[in-house]
Amino acid sequence: MPDPIRVAAVGDVHLADDLRGRYAPLLEGISGEADALLVAGDLTQHGTVEEAKAFADEFDAADVPVLVVLGNHDYHSGADRDIARLLTDRGVTVLEGTSTTIETDAGRLGVAGVKGFCLGFHGRCAADFGEPEMKAFTGHGIETAGVLRRALDDLAGEEPDVTVALSHFAPVDDTLIGEPKEIWPFLGNYRLGEAIDETGVDLAVHGHAHAGREKGLTPAGVPVRNVAQPVIQAAFRVYDVVPRRSA
Amino acid sequence: MNEQLARDLERDIASDPRTNELGIRLQVRGERLVVSGEVASEERRATVLEVVREHDTGLEIVDHIMLSAEPGPGGPDHEQIDPPQRS
Repeated sequence: MPDPIRVAAVGDVHLADDLRGRYAPLLEGISGEADALLVAGDLTQHGTVEEAKAFADEFDAADVPVLVVLGNHDYHSGADRDIARLLTDRGVTVLEGTSTTIETDAGRLGVAGVKGFCLGFHGRCAADFGEPEMKAFTGHGIETAGVLRRALDDLAGEEPDVTVALSHFAPVDDTLIGEPKEIWPFLGNYRLGEAIDETGVDLAVHGHAHAGREKGLTPAGVPVRNVAQPVIQAAFRVYDVVPRRSA
Repeated sequence: MNEQLARDLERDIASDPRTNELGIRLQVRGERLVVSGEVASEERRATVLEVVREHDTGLEIVDHIMLSAEPGPGGPDHEQIDPPQRS
């Protein structure tokens, strides 16, 4: 069997000055374990540029490419664009409806990323009906799934050996078990899962659900992993994804 | 009324710019106000309790907040993901 592409992932690190020093020592030498490090949003606690600097300083210790999506916390102070710019300047790849590929010894890794948004899941989701505010809420949830789908379609043209979908909001409800059911529509969006199922994804990685569980599947059977730090209780998890060509 | 107070406080802890903690739960038990959930540092625990105290509920505040486990090395814990079987 050919070597797998090793994908490290974590989410919801919620960095601020009080957590400086928590991640850097654990990320040094990560290239011995992984080919890339994905961070599934909520990089910061209050969404400030200062906190983004703390994130950049901590994750600068990783000696592999670092790819992130932003989370809802990263939008809270209205500085999401400044945060994205700072991270980009610091060598972090920020994905929002975009994708990238990384050449590894085991093949080409492709990652498409989007923050995502609320919506809910089959039978228990927001509907595009009624007040303009409700339509806007629902429409944004649907639109983010469309954005992910387009990014994955574009990525397919690059013919990656392994394709990973990275989001902050959950694409399935399997990984929300443990969270109160009443808030599931605010934690995930089944349309993200549909986009994943229709675009040849090998692994989907998300965060946001701190009290959820790590492992789930999309309706079509694509593995989904909730890597929120309170769930995995580690600096990162590593998924050894076997390239499709070996199947 | 107690339930409403607890939910209002939870909302304030989520929206207060000093905290923005979405995972804090409050329960009124007799004359006690139990604060539970998980935060990432002692500093964040202290700030949550400070916001609760500011509401002057007249209840005894019981701190059941847990600190998140500090992350350990993630390296050794690898999981193999096999490709989906596609026809």
